[in-house]
Amino acid sequence: MATNRFALRKEAEKRLRYFDYNLVVIVIFLLIFGLVMVYSSSSYDAFLTFGNATYYFRKQLISIVVGLGIMIALTFFPYQLLMRMTAAAYIFAAVLIFLIIPFGHEANGAKRWIYLFGISIQPAEYAKLAMIVFLAGAIMKMGRGINTWKGFGIILVLVGIISGMVWFVTSNASSAIIIFGIALIMFFVSTPDYKRYIILGGGLILAAVLVVLVIVANASGSDAGNIGGYRGARILAWLDPEAYASGKGFQTLQALYAIGSGGLFGKGLGESMQKLGFIPEAQNDMIFSVICEELGLFGALALMLLFVLLLWRLKIIADNASDMFGSLLVVGVMGHIAIQVILNIAVVTNIIPNTGISLPFISYGGSAMICTLAEIGLCLSVARRIRMRDY
Amino acid sequence: MASLYNDGKLKRFTPKMRKKLLVLFIIILAAFVGLGIRLYMIARNNGEEYARQVLSQQEYDSVTIPYRRGDIYDCNGMILASSNKVYNVILDCSLLLTDDAYLEPTLNALNSVFKIDTSEVRQYITANPSSKYKVLAKRVSYEDMLAFEDLKKAEETGSNIKGVWFEDEYVRQYPNSTLGCDIIGFTSGDNIGNFGLEQYYNSVLSGTNGREYGYLNEDSDLERTVIPAEDGYSIYSTIDINIQSTVEKYLAEFNEEYKNNVNIANGAENIGCIIMEVDTGNVLAMAQYPVYDLNNPRDTSALIGARQVDIKGVKTTGKPIELTSLVQNNETIDPDAVADISGTSDEAENADENGDGEEEDAENSENTTNPASGEPQMFTESLYVTEESLALMDDDTLYQNLNSLWKNFCINTTYEPGSVAKPFTVAAALDSGSITGDEYYNCEGFLEVGDHKIKCHNTYGDGYLSVAQCVERSCNVGLMHIAFACGKETFLKYQHAFGFGLKTNIDLAGESRTASLVYTPSSMRQTDLATNSFGQGFNVTMIQMISGFCSLVNGGNFYEPHMVSKIVTSDGSTIENIEPRVLKQTVSRTTSDKIKEYCNLVVTGEYGTGKTARPAGYMIGGKTGTAETLPRGNGEYVVSFMGYAPADDPEIAIYVVVDRPNVGTWGAQADAKYATRIVRSILTEVLPYLHIYMTEPLSDKEIAELEEKNIEDTHGYNSDISDEQSESDENAGDADTSESQETSGDENTTGETEEEIPENDEPWKEFAIDPNTGYAIDPDTGAYVDPVTGATIGLDSDLPDTGVPVTADESVSAVGDAPDVTQ
Repeated sequence: MATNRFALRKEAEKRLRYFDYNLVVIVIFLLIFGLVMVYSSSSYDAFLTFGNATYYFRKQLISIVVGLGIMIALTFFPYQLLMRMTAAAYIFAAVLIFLIIPFGHEANGAKRWIYLFGISIQPAEYAKLAMIVFLAGAIMKMGRGINTWKGFGIILVLVGIISGMVWFVTSNASSAIIIFGIALIMFFVSTPDYKRYIILGGGLILAAVLVVLVIVANASGSDAGNIGGYRGARILAWLDPEAYASGKGFQTLQALYAIGSGGLFGKGLGESMQKLGFIPEAQNDMIFSVICEELGLFGALALMLLFVLLLWRLKIIADNASDMFGSLLVVGVMGHIAIQVILNIAVVTNIIPNTGISLPFISYGGSAMICTLAEIGLCLSVARRIRMRDY
Repeated sequence: MASLYNDGKLKRFTPKMRKKLLVLFIIILAAFVGLGIRLYMIARNNGEEYARQVLSQQEYDSVTIPYRRGDIYDCNGMILASSNKVYNVILDCSLLLTDDAYLEPTLNALNSVFKIDTSEVRQYITANPSSKYKVLAKRVSYEDMLAFEDLKKAEETGSNIKGVWFEDEYVRQYPNSTLGCDIIGFTSGDNIGNFGLEQYYNSVLSGTNGREYGYLNEDSDLERTVIPAEDGYSIYSTIDINIQSTVEKYLAEFNEEYKNNVNIANGAENIGCIIMEVDTGNVLAMAQYPVYDLNNPRDTSALIGARQVDIKGVKTTGKPIELTSLVQNNETIDPDAVADISGTSDEAENADENGDGEEEDAENSENTTNPASGEPQMFTESLYVTEESLALMDDDTLYQNLNSLWKNFCINTTYEPGSVAKPFTVAAALDSGSITGDEYYNCEGFLEVGDHKIKCHNTYGDGYLSVAQCVERSCNVGLMHIAFACGKETFLKYQHAFGFGLKTNIDLAGESRTASLVYTPSSMRQTDLATNSFGQGFNVTMIQMISGFCSLVNGGNFYEPHMVSKIVTSDGSTIENIEPRVLKQTVSRTTSDKIKEYCNLVVTGEYGTGKTARPAGYMIGGKTGTAETLPRGNGEYVVSFMGYAPADDPEIAIYVVVDRPNVGTWGAQADAKYATRIVRSILTEVLPYLHIYMTEPLSDKEIAELEEKNIEDTHGYNSDISDEQSESDENAGDADTSESQETSGDENTTGETEEEIPENDEPWKEFAIDPNTGYAIDPDTGAYVDPVTGATIGLDSDLPDTGVPVTADESVSAVGDAPDVTQ
């Protein structure tokens, strides 16, 4: 009888073991939607360039399959083990970035990829994943020390080193900002006060405004854009894209045209005209504008709602994780996805200057896809450890 | 600080952290909301503008798709004019410059296929790197276009050939170049027809350009629409290309024979010929000489030998002109050559004295100063176009000369018809009942009308002549009597009925108005009626004459002459059949039969003036004409023959006019034989072609001639030869004999009329025969006299110089609505 009751309890406990199907459904939905949009936005260009309309679609599909494999593997991976790899994750990120210097593959004027066994890898994406693991572990190790300016400063410097490396080695400012942003979000959640974040945020905004003002002042002086260099021109193009319509402002302007011309319900799936050679690499960072053009405001808001649901699921997992490390991991992932989605849409709608930020789950890109799915895998792993009876 | 880990118990998320996570989530949510608002603002504020922008970026500029101008066919469907697709080579520099690898292969391909100078293209590309539309070559052929496309498809370099595309265009082509130039006409660059059928049927031949364009539908979606071009309709002419080419061959042959004969000029100022079906009004051939190449109508070499006109389009008179400083450099102009033609009278005297035209006499008579002295050089204006006079022409004068070349002589030029009008006078008198046909008139060689003594061409008089003989011998006196019997009201009423003074409304551009060139009852005096009776004093066009003449010989039905029988769409379905239209009944069938009878005599009769027009194996009827041009006494004539075949049942009518043959003047050589010989040559080939079978016996000479021309003897095919016709065959045979003998007439054939002609009334039969020309020479005047009829050759009449209603011109030239083409 007792054994029987015990067995029943065990059974019930097993059944109550949490698995976040909601999250999986949302992710699968996003992946399928992304695949469709990648095909829609890239087929014209792929056909022109490679003679095969499904070129990007297939590569993306392979990335997704690999990513899903990694996600499933990580779901059943005891994430607690990662806490012991805090230092290793940091070193992994640093080494990966350094590998670019000898093995880097240059494209579009920036070394961002390395080839390993015939597979191209974007170290910055793996660095983001590694930094989430590192930060979660580091915050755990810091304990209350994180609340002090000193502890806070130490980790911030460590993160800043990696960010700086990403920025200068791979000339990828956006990834550097994202890594820094992830760190700030994780700090924000794990420390009780608001003051320093307000100071920090205000300082950053002030610095950004100052930079913009300096660039604008210089540009209006002598020859435009040259003082700020590559990024200066971008900022000028951001302020007035139509004045730089044939140069730096081209991509932004074309994206705006796409969004504006989509209207409420869009032109219909596959009907985008802007993808026909006007938006460069429409399947990458600017894919959201094609979504807006084809599916309209309605489609865009639906997609954003999907991301909000995803983030909500992650919040719930973080709230209910069986340990703090798990929570912090999920918060990191949540921060990562939130930052990327917000910045991507902000770029497409020309709220911030144009910088290469992809839309998670949707944009074309193997490394980003695999890393993001790996992060989801970690979150699912955290979710699996949730004990239902605690509710 | 390491306690969290070292405790061994994993601390869970604290409520504070949850709170902060919630704050974070709210911040994220706020950001999303902000983004959503931003999206909405873009769609709301800039939506339409951006949508337009998107559409305007699409290259949907409207493109004109050219229509194809309709073809012109002859009655058998042979192409007279057609439009063929050609291609313009367009370069898109900006596309070419997108990659360095494109430039060289593209330029090489352009050079190898179209022979385009690469350095020029390079220069253009450097100067206009953003140009998207530069025409590199115009009107390249389909083959060349294909060759270029093949290069583009080639394995190695083909993919680097960029930025070149082709634009369609149609070019008008005339496969027969000069054939039928005056009836067909040509088109200027913008597909506008000039002259002839091209102008008259311009709106039929023209289609509507198509367009390819994009527009926004109500959902602001781009719709691409192609409105295809509507091709023009094609027309089938009544012209038969074979007959037309035969006619043109003999006109050109005549020109070859008499070119530079007396004057350094064409064989005649103009030679025109019309062949028409008498029972439909269908024009089978309409030709003139000189001709021009329809594919290159502005080629000035076709002008050489033509009568020159000045800047106002009036014929040059040979007045002295002063060379401007522009052409004072005597290296460019040979003064001898410039003035190679002197005034007509000088030339005429030369011709008279020397018999054959001397060409070099003119040069000494020029009023030139020494070119080296620097004084103005005086030259005599050239009467005929030469290479030298071409060099002296300014653009406007040249254009006037071209314009006179392009004009259709057969419908545009008015002239006094001369004796070919006599059948009309007789028909008017017969049909109105003014005469019965049984009258006899005494010809004493002249008739005094008012103050004027109007001579007959046989100044010795023919004595008493029947109406038939008046026509046969072309007696002016008899005709004057007949016209007087009519009276001017009736005469003019019939002139109107025959269409003189009215346009025929033939479907060709440029027919002249002649309303002011004929008399009205109030303006006509007795002398005018007298001269009108034999075709002087009023002006006509060739098409008027032959249209009226057809009605005389077909039983009185006046058909509207026309050139086009059918209008079809570009895919060949018929839009309109143009049926023959009878406009009126001019004379009764009885009158028509009588006129035919008289006109047959012109060819068959012993004294007939048109014997030389009869082709081997056929019997035809007709009337000759020799009209003196204005001013009277200048010795220039328009000779003509208007006839029909076969004689008993006419199917076709033919009219040949030789305007001022290049044979000198007082030599009296300009007689109707110049026209009748052309008619004979043409009919010899055309009648068998039209499946009209031979009815007349052939002499050995004629058999040899037919063999030479490779024409079959078609006697055997005609199973319907009746006894009656056989009889006429015999008669013809007799006439033949008399003609070949060329001696005094065979008395027996002329029958009873013979008795009324006293022997001593034919004094010319005793005149000495000139060995060169075969004519008798009148010892009193020195003029040539026809040994058979006694007619003074070339002196059809000695007309009073007054009372001619020619209002505008002194001489034969175009009047009325001649087309005007801008250069």
